[in-house]
Amino acid sequence: MKVVALIRPRADRAVAPAHFSGGKDSTYNMMKCVEHGHEIAALAHAHPPHSADKEELDSFLFQTVGSSAVHAIAECMELPFYYREIRGTAVTQALDYTLTEDDETEDLFALLAEVKEHHPDVGGVSVGAIFSSYQGNRVQHVCDRLGLTMLPYLWHRDQTELLQEMVSDGVNAILIKVAALGLGRGDLGQTLGQMAPKLLALHEKYGIHPCGEGGEFESFTLDCPLFKKRIVIDESQVVTHSDDDVAPVLYLSIKKVHVEPK
Amino acid sequence: MVNFTVEQIRVLMDKVTNIRNMSVIAHVDHGKSTLTDSLVAKAGIIKSSTAGEARFTDTRADEQERGITIKSTAISMYFELNDDQMEDIKDKSGGNGFLINLIDSPGHVDFSSEVTAALRVTDGALVVVDTISGVSVQTETVLRQALTEMIKPVVMINKVDRAMLERQLPKEELYQNFRRVVEDVNVNISTFQSENIMGDLQVYPEQGTVAFGSGLHAWGFTLRQFAVIYAKKMGVDRNKIMNKMWGDNFFNAKTKKWSTKSTDPTGKSEDRAFNMFALDPIYRIFDATMHERKDEAFALAEKLQIAVTSEERDLNGKPLLKVLMRKFLPAAEALMEMICIHLPSPAVAQKYRCDGLYEGPLDDVCAQGIRNCDPKGPLMLYVSKMVPTSDKGRFYAFGRVFSGTAASGQKVRIQGPGYVPGTKKELFVKTIQRTVLMMGRAVESIEDCPAGNIIGLVGVDQFLQKSGTLTTEETAHNMKVMKFSVSPVVRVAVEVKNQQDLPKLVEGLKRLSKSDPCVLVMTSDTGEHIVAGAGELHLEICLKDLEEDHAQVPIRSSLPVVEYRETVREESYDFALSKSPNKHNRIYMKAQPLGEDLTRALEEGVITSRDDVKERARVLADEHGWDVNDARKIWAFDPETATTNLLVDTTKAVQYLNEIKEHCVSGFQWASTTGPCADEKLRGCRFNITDVSLHADSIHRGAGQIMPACRRAIYASVLMAQPTLQEPIYLVEIQCPESAMGGVYSVLNRRRGEVIDEQLRPGTTQMTIKAYLPVNESFGFVTELRAGTSGQAFPQSVFDHWSLMNGSALEPGKVADIVKEIRVRKGMSEQMHGLDHYYDKL
Repeated sequence: MKVVALIRPRADRAVAPAHFSGGKDSTYNMMKCVEHGHEIAALAHAHPPHSADKEELDSFLFQTVGSSAVHAIAECMELPFYYREIRGTAVTQALDYTLTEDDETEDLFALLAEVKEHHPDVGGVSVGAIFSSYQGNRVQHVCDRLGLTMLPYLWHRDQTELLQEMVSDGVNAILIKVAALGLGRGDLGQTLGQMAPKLLALHEKYGIHPCGEGGEFESFTLDCPLFKKRIVIDESQVVTHSDDDVAPVLYLSIKKVHVEPK
Repeated sequence: MVNFTVEQIRVLMDKVTNIRNMSVIAHVDHGKSTLTDSLVAKAGIIKSSTAGEARFTDTRADEQERGITIKSTAISMYFELNDDQMEDIKDKSGGNGFLINLIDSPGHVDFSSEVTAALRVTDGALVVVDTISGVSVQTETVLRQALTEMIKPVVMINKVDRAMLERQLPKEELYQNFRRVVEDVNVNISTFQSENIMGDLQVYPEQGTVAFGSGLHAWGFTLRQFAVIYAKKMGVDRNKIMNKMWGDNFFNAKTKKWSTKSTDPTGKSEDRAFNMFALDPIYRIFDATMHERKDEAFALAEKLQIAVTSEERDLNGKPLLKVLMRKFLPAAEALMEMICIHLPSPAVAQKYRCDGLYEGPLDDVCAQGIRNCDPKGPLMLYVSKMVPTSDKGRFYAFGRVFSGTAASGQKVRIQGPGYVPGTKKELFVKTIQRTVLMMGRAVESIEDCPAGNIIGLVGVDQFLQKSGTLTTEETAHNMKVMKFSVSPVVRVAVEVKNQQDLPKLVEGLKRLSKSDPCVLVMTSDTGEHIVAGAGELHLEICLKDLEEDHAQVPIRSSLPVVEYRETVREESYDFALSKSPNKHNRIYMKAQPLGEDLTRALEEGVITSRDDVKERARVLADEHGWDVNDARKIWAFDPETATTNLLVDTTKAVQYLNEIKEHCVSGFQWASTTGPCADEKLRGCRFNITDVSLHADSIHRGAGQIMPACRRAIYASVLMAQPTLQEPIYLVEIQCPESAMGGVYSVLNRRRGEVIDEQLRPGTTQMTIKAYLPVNESFGFVTELRAGTSGQAFPQSVFDHWSLMNGSALEPGKVADIVKEIRVRKGMSEQMHGLDHYYDKL
């Protein structure tokens, strides 16, 4: 989710990414971009302010959990990495976005503008959004202003199918946040492959989205075919964001990672 | 005596106008099973001589031992009326032969769920009342049940022999006794009788809907019998004389004149017609035989055209009395006649019962099939209970065909109570292996069974929990779920003595749950196996069955514990706010008590989720002080039937609100079954969704987000509204002599009992005491009461209501102590979660 890979148009095969969360959707959409002949030029990421006492900002737009380790993904892919602190909040909460001062969308704009400055040949943005029009609209807004093309290859794909496809195409991601009915502490750190049966069952039972598109869970990619190295988590800690008997919100705070050759 | 074969019965089953499905219901010990025996004797299954002692329908060893009926039993019988009797049947019938399907049901209140299951498959009920003890608490309960199921009652006033022999009541007093019983029954009928689509259901001796007699001695009569005799003798119309034989009608034997005053113009007292025509011959036989005036007795017999055999001439006293009375007024004759004439056939009954039986649209093919009792319509069969077979672990599904024909080898849709039309929830498509007739201990295979008949099915038991609908029609909705008058409020935890037996226990529990309509079997979160029943006796029987039949392994059980309900005492002092897990949706909620009046109206189905919205809103506004606008925006009733909690939308102009309604309702239903204090069910709570703020994109406000948020909001609102408990209360009726009252009172006092009524039964020293007793205090009550009164007091307890406990769960005190106790028992943390566990900051 919330992945933006800035991309050069297909014709000259040069590509740049941005707005990269490290999640499975960001990663998988990048794989799709490559499949369609684009080239990833860089990764861009918006992170929570260092002053914030919590990693989880409950942002409407960005995935912030796992932020501390996103740099490792750039390392694995051997790509330039651009990042920026999230300063705004969701000031405009309507489905459609109009330019608003201090809105978190403007952080995205600033981030992508910076990438564009360094990579003038970039023509597109890889976006992992699947169903969230709220997020899609905002990225579109930013892209329009920067003259970039949004490339959301996962848009409106069937989530059940998509989940299985990601697993079989080699996206090795783990759950780093749970926030939905039926998910709990034991699910943190589990890989998508391990979680797939449970997610599908919960989809049947409570209608949760199997790819977590409603914010049910967030993931972090440790490895995928695009990576030249893979990530190993050395130290992490479970943080309780809000407790509940049936739908606790918990996340894995990643303290220390290292990359190792594949 | 008619001996019939299965083939003959099968022929009768097609003549739906000549079928009577009826149950025998009564207070415990009023003599149902004994009476049933004398009926069965008539139908030629057991020999006449053992009638009164054999208890044919009590098939279980413990039933015979305890002398009470535990499970209901069905028997089919055949009876022929003469042409005279046929004249009195108002509805069309085909021939003089009648097939009577009788179900004998238990009288003890703890087993009244068996009664409910029996009533569902019958159209008429024979209500048996003991002359001496009169209408008792369970008589009232079963009558109410019968009337809600739209079952037509007729009454048998039983144990008249005891009133005459033991109590030596003179004729007029006996009449007054009868009159009182009839009045009491009618008071109950008129109270409980709902919409009058069935006409007047009260019983009238002068119309022949009340019989008098002795089940034990196998004699009995309705006024019709005497009317027939006297009509012939006096050459007057039978119905005219029957009318005169009850109430204040007096006959002067000398002047042959009727009057309505008990004295003639000269001041001489005259005889009441009932006493003179009906009671006099009976009293004379009693008098002659019991005082060893045999010649007089035989002379009387001759006059009454009773043929006495030479062997019988050697009898003396009571045996002779029995023989003469049985020949003079055979009980079976009178009762069968009353049943055939006054109880409706399925063809008649299903016309008015259809609306109350079918959940679906009342004009679809299934409803039409039921209404017309059409053997060619789509199959609609309601399974009301499961009967264990001799094959361990297997059950006959016992039920009634309301439409169509059920046959062996037929492929049917088996729909559980939770089936939703158009889905596959609780739906199985399977084949009926065999259809059987159930006759007491025996079953007989039968090829098929047309609409209007009661039947047992083999091969569908694995697919049904306890009850359900069987149909061949794909669009069929369910038949309505039965409403039980008892709730499983007492529970025990069971475990095996030897750990390796655990799988057998689990299997046994499943079977137990199937075999009893009321018992609840569940596994708690901590892995404890819980069995819940209506009362101590019910649980005792259940556990015995579990140990000896279903699991067949030694088991241990905990002390019984009581179920509580969680509720709120006042309105939440502030808006409870809860966020969805993704924090992008907020729900504001307030809880408030529904009030006992409204809760009961909901529980009893006076106000239901199916009512017209506007009419219901009117009632809520006028009678319960609701704001009309709120009343029109009730989102959900939980549970769907016998509702105890409401979810109301009191928001003003909120966007997307309707999209989350379903998820809120799910969250509400969930919260209702497990309250925040002790994980007990909520009762009597109204939840107002006062405001919501939602993520603009629907993907971020799905069920996985809204359901838990709504649940949290409800919990928070409960904790902000003085949460407390309601405890279940029994209504206990105690019969005892005046002298034992002191003992009764002191036992009640020790157990927080509260006496609400005490009455001296007219003409006796017997007292009837009614009291409220907390179920929690009822364990061992019977034993203690017996001990405290030298065995002279007999209590009957039935669940009556939930009582609000004093204090709050949040302050130290009794409620908090109970909450803690329940939490520990359930393996939860000892302390309740605080408000901040559920309440989210903005």
